[in-house]
Amino acid sequence: MQVYEAPLRDMKFVLHELHTDDGFGNLEALEEFTPDLVDAVLEEAAKVAQEVLLPLNRVGDIEGCTLENGVVRTPKGFREAYDLFREGGWCALASDPEWGGQGLPEQVNKMTEEMICSANLAFSLYPGLTHGGTTAMEGYASDELKQAYLPKMVSGEWSGTMCLTEPHCGTDLGMLRTKAVPQDDGSYKLSGAKIFISAGEHDLTENIVHLVLARLPDAPEGVKGISLFLVPKYLPKDDGTPGPANGVSVAAIEHKMGLKGSATCQLNFDESTGWLVGKPNKGMEAMFTMMNIERVSVGIQGLGVGEAAYQSAVWYAKERLQGRSLSGVKNPDGPADPIIVHPDVRRMLMTMRAYNEGCRAISGWVSRALDAQKHATDPEVKQRAEDFVALMTPVVKALFTDLGFESANLAVQCYGGHGYIAESGVEQYVRDARIAMIYEGTNGIQALDLVGRKLPAHTGRYLRAFFHPVAQFIEAHKEDEAAGPMIEALEKAFGALQLSTATIAQKGMADPEEAAAAATDYLRLTGLVAMGYCFARAALIAQARLAEGVEDAAFYKAKIATARFFFDRILPQATAAFLAIKSGKASIMSLEVEAF
Amino acid sequence: MSEQAIRKVCVIGAGTMGAGIAAQVANAGVPVLLLDIVPKDGSNRNAIAEGAVAKMLKTEPAPFMSKAAARLVETGNIEDHLEKVAECDWVIEAVIERLDIKQGLYAKLEAVKRPGTAVSSNTSTIPLANLVEGRSDAFRRDFLITHFFNPPRYMRLLEIVTGPATDAGVAAAVERFADVAMGKTVVHAKDTPGFIANRIGTYWIQLGLNAAFDMGLSVELADAVAGPPMGVPKTGIFGLVDLVGIDLMPHLQESLTATLPDDDQYHAIAQSHPLIDKMIAEGFTGRKGKGGFYRLARDTDGRRKEAIDLAAGEYRPAIKPLGPTGPAARGDLRALVETKGVIGDYAWAVLGDTLAYAAGLVPSAAADVVAIDDAMKLGYNWKAGPFEMIDRLGAKYLAGRLEAEGKPVPQMLRIAGERTFYRVENGQRRFLGLDGEYHDVVRPEGVLRLADIKLASKPLLKNASAALWDVGDGVVALEFTGKMNALDGDVMKLILQAIPLIQSQYKALVIYNDADSFSAGANLGLALFALNIAAWGEIEKLVAGGQMAYKGLKYAPFPVVGAPAGLAVGGGCEILLHCDAIQAHAELYTGLVECGVGLIPGWGGNGEMIERARNAKMMPKGPMPSVAKVFETVSTATVSKSAAEAKELLFLRPEDGITMNRDRLLHDAKQKALSMVEGYTPPEAPTFRLPGESGHVALNMAAEGFRKRGLATDYDMVVSDALARVLSGGEADLVDTVSEQDLLGLERETFMRLVREPRSIARVEHMLGTGKPLRN
Repeated sequence: MQVYEAPLRDMKFVLHELHTDDGFGNLEALEEFTPDLVDAVLEEAAKVAQEVLLPLNRVGDIEGCTLENGVVRTPKGFREAYDLFREGGWCALASDPEWGGQGLPEQVNKMTEEMICSANLAFSLYPGLTHGGTTAMEGYASDELKQAYLPKMVSGEWSGTMCLTEPHCGTDLGMLRTKAVPQDDGSYKLSGAKIFISAGEHDLTENIVHLVLARLPDAPEGVKGISLFLVPKYLPKDDGTPGPANGVSVAAIEHKMGLKGSATCQLNFDESTGWLVGKPNKGMEAMFTMMNIERVSVGIQGLGVGEAAYQSAVWYAKERLQGRSLSGVKNPDGPADPIIVHPDVRRMLMTMRAYNEGCRAISGWVSRALDAQKHATDPEVKQRAEDFVALMTPVVKALFTDLGFESANLAVQCYGGHGYIAESGVEQYVRDARIAMIYEGTNGIQALDLVGRKLPAHTGRYLRAFFHPVAQFIEAHKEDEAAGPMIEALEKAFGALQLSTATIAQKGMADPEEAAAAATDYLRLTGLVAMGYCFARAALIAQARLAEGVEDAAFYKAKIATARFFFDRILPQATAAFLAIKSGKASIMSLEVEAF
Repeated sequence: MSEQAIRKVCVIGAGTMGAGIAAQVANAGVPVLLLDIVPKDGSNRNAIAEGAVAKMLKTEPAPFMSKAAARLVETGNIEDHLEKVAECDWVIEAVIERLDIKQGLYAKLEAVKRPGTAVSSNTSTIPLANLVEGRSDAFRRDFLITHFFNPPRYMRLLEIVTGPATDAGVAAAVERFADVAMGKTVVHAKDTPGFIANRIGTYWIQLGLNAAFDMGLSVELADAVAGPPMGVPKTGIFGLVDLVGIDLMPHLQESLTATLPDDDQYHAIAQSHPLIDKMIAEGFTGRKGKGGFYRLARDTDGRRKEAIDLAAGEYRPAIKPLGPTGPAARGDLRALVETKGVIGDYAWAVLGDTLAYAAGLVPSAAADVVAIDDAMKLGYNWKAGPFEMIDRLGAKYLAGRLEAEGKPVPQMLRIAGERTFYRVENGQRRFLGLDGEYHDVVRPEGVLRLADIKLASKPLLKNASAALWDVGDGVVALEFTGKMNALDGDVMKLILQAIPLIQSQYKALVIYNDADSFSAGANLGLALFALNIAAWGEIEKLVAGGQMAYKGLKYAPFPVVGAPAGLAVGGGCEILLHCDAIQAHAELYTGLVECGVGLIPGWGGNGEMIERARNAKMMPKGPMPSVAKVFETVSTATVSKSAAEAKELLFLRPEDGITMNRDRLLHDAKQKALSMVEGYTPPEAPTFRLPGESGHVALNMAAEGFRKRGLATDYDMVVSDALARVLSGGEADLVDTVSEQDLLGLERETFMRLVREPRSIARVEHMLGTGKPLRN
């Protein structure tokens, strides 16, 4: 059964306790968002997630979207849910107040995103893409475009899409062909075919605003000749309401492995009117602004599904009676003990739990940096925050989605044969989670981004924003007896990360294939160290709280237990990643292509 | 006639060239008489020559290597002082390019000069035959052309042209002096218009201008193509014309058109461009004028680079052109000229005909291909000469394309056929002669190039950042090989491996490389990366490793001679400080610049400098004066502007040698090392008496003075405090003695403290990003 209750206690811990001295300082602009206010927002969001979105999750999966006569219908209940969601102001949560947003801290926004994704991943795409679109427009669109579109998009009345992929080009966008021909009035006529467009067409909003990558007639070849355009489904009339159709049509909707409640469309643009966003041939820059925000959000999708899968597995492991505990009967009144007594089931549950808490802690840290890069007044802090976000974006995207998928898989395993049956609801998590490892740049691409762009950038400057706090933390707590073994394990993993970093920087300069061959393991290693750092900090805080004597001691005890599990059972993966990196590219690349 | 030593020189004509030539003679330590005409007005009859010297003392880059050199120039005028020519062994005429004036001067000179005193003209355009018209046989025997390039201190090329009557001994004496004393590389040219370098250079420039106008290229793109991708400085063609003066172009054109034979290819391309004529007329003559093809415009946002639009004739903001990419950008000339579109078309238009033209000048303007290549490399700073470029392009390919375009194929290209102009046989570099045979490239006596040794042998030791070579007679050379010859752990490792090897099988070590920069010091990029990933342990290992390697050199049981040329800063200076002796190229820019990046010398430089200061002549006794002197030099990151100045700054000892000719440096250093082998004993480790805490305070007070005058920033104070602490011996008391090891420990510990400071990291970062120090 799909079970979900928002992990508010852990969220509040991350928000109010874990990252209070992370070096990004006090952000004055966000002072109005007091802890009480933030907690109230989270509690409300939890209600929406649990009461409105969760019940639609299976429905959406079973029913899916349909295309009839060029019109896409979302699953039953989605439209009403979206209206409720929009009217509740949830679309506008993190948007700029200038355009009608509420300007909430990203830290809070990412927590609500997590809840929405846990409850209903397919639904989350509709408001999620709109948010990415408005952010790109805030940065790059002309004032006229902003005035005409942003208020409606921020409120959620109109939704947004990102149109990148074409039938022959996905990762390699340099090959794209959609054309944009300049018109006398300053607009452009766009023609071409796009595929895999999430929320490309649906019945939730009265208009859809597509952000489309296309080529100008005189554009240079490759990625340096791509521009970004805004193309509405309906051209707005003078009064701002949707007017005539704009030549954007749905050729088909994709039949997918999962995420069935989200309409993934093939779109045709036929002489559609559009306007340039940003500078000619600089579309990738604007698109990457949006993409980077989306990438963190896709990471949150992984975490969201992972949390839902974990809770559903815990529920089942407590319900399902099979076999007896090896240490003696625990449920003498029943025919058998609940399976949660079995060490291997525990191993799976603890793994999922550690992944989720670890990812949530990293997410809290990265979104603090997102807030700092926007609101910090000290340029040094701002720069450091930007560096940290740039470095951690691929880590969040790939690590969280890898682990989210692994958690979903483990949940099915906990259910045994029942997990493989659709009715259990957990196999949906596997199918839904799978896409997050692929879209917005596959996890392989994320790893390449990390080793190829982020690691060497400015001679390793981005790394400083992460490595220095970790190094200082280890140094500060090395002699700390309470933290002892944890710090020691963290220090070892961090040492492996430092060495791997230096090796990749050196080898990669001479031979880029060496860096590429190390990329995925290196990203995992980075993620494990980040998690280890967060868990060690969390455990130290928990120890302090327990020593002070707090009311909810159970939470802090559990935190310490999860942290211990992480250091004993998960962090050792760092050594494996280190050894894999150290082995170099030879064994990956030596087999002749013909031998495959 | 036998060769006569040159003990005094006279230069007549105190314009930029004449004055610069005189300064270079003085830089060699030889007295020089600088004469010019008597000015029309004013009471000082020597005003022109005196003014030229005064101006040179303020010019940057400086024509003089030291103030002492400037004192060797005696000024005068040709009306009152011409008879002093009798004291001189060589007279260099560098007056205006007018035949009548030159001839008139020679007539007067003939009356006062001693027989056997060489007279040479610095003309760049007038044939020798015309210059000596009307002169006696005796004068003709002593006469030749010596064509220097501007600025004479820094440009290494000297074209020498002798006439049929020129005495071989006279020419040899001049050549030897120009080579050994003035440091020039002599290329023999025939008596043809423009000689070699300017003949080819002017042709190349004209082609480049024509093609850019014809094809509608931006000047930025033109220079991005006919620049670094061809091994040409990044000024390219338009930038170079801006530098030398746009108004010079019509003069060169006029002179070459008038004097070159009718069938010369130059006539076909010589043309004027209305835009260029207009620019000259309006005073836009390049960097010296109101602007050139490029200019720096000032507006409210500060300075902004602009370039002229060749079609519109208006300035517009400079663009960053999309120049050649891939192999075409990295020296693959075939890929460059075959690049599709305007880049390849322009590259071919400029390069194809230039190379063909150069190939046509053997043997009319130069005896062989080597002379032509040397002239272009040294006179125009091309990385490769025309024939070396043809080898990369393919002689057959070039001939084929010329033929296909219906252009004549020069004889040398036909001789080469499918062969290359250079090849290496048994480690010997050989060139293709007119006879179709290969001949050895012969270096003058006393010229030793590591590049030649490397062709002929394998390194004794080698890793990614350094190599060790056997340079003959029991001497080995340590070569740095990294980018900018930066120093890192690999260099230190190789030093530690080299020491026992040399001890067991060789006599001495020379630290030398062929590059323009001896070493830019520690690999800052590597260091910054290590800082960014908080690899403190690795950094400390690198510091300790460097200290150990350098001390290893200092106490090695064989002589170690440092032979630097160009830049030698930071760790590149510290390694020199650990050598038993230095033989430096005259152009040595050395210093301990660590404070500029928020650090202090960490490889033993502090102790070595104190030791040098303590032993310096005139240094007052007691621990404080020498420490204060070092503090002053190091805290301000002072870099010498010449080897002579490096002596004044104590980086070099008084007895260290200076070589004027870059090509002779390795030979001279090797001889110096060999001279020290007999009875060599390593130095004893010094002990220091340092001023301790009170000295530290005094040094800080000196620094505070700088800060009060706005010369030092707050963070400079932090850095100089750290330096002061090390130089004064930390907590040492005046009565204590501090061992070399103690001082190294203090240096290391202080370095490690500074390296973690965010503001030091910011300085390192800024230096790497911009090449300039950050004043935070």
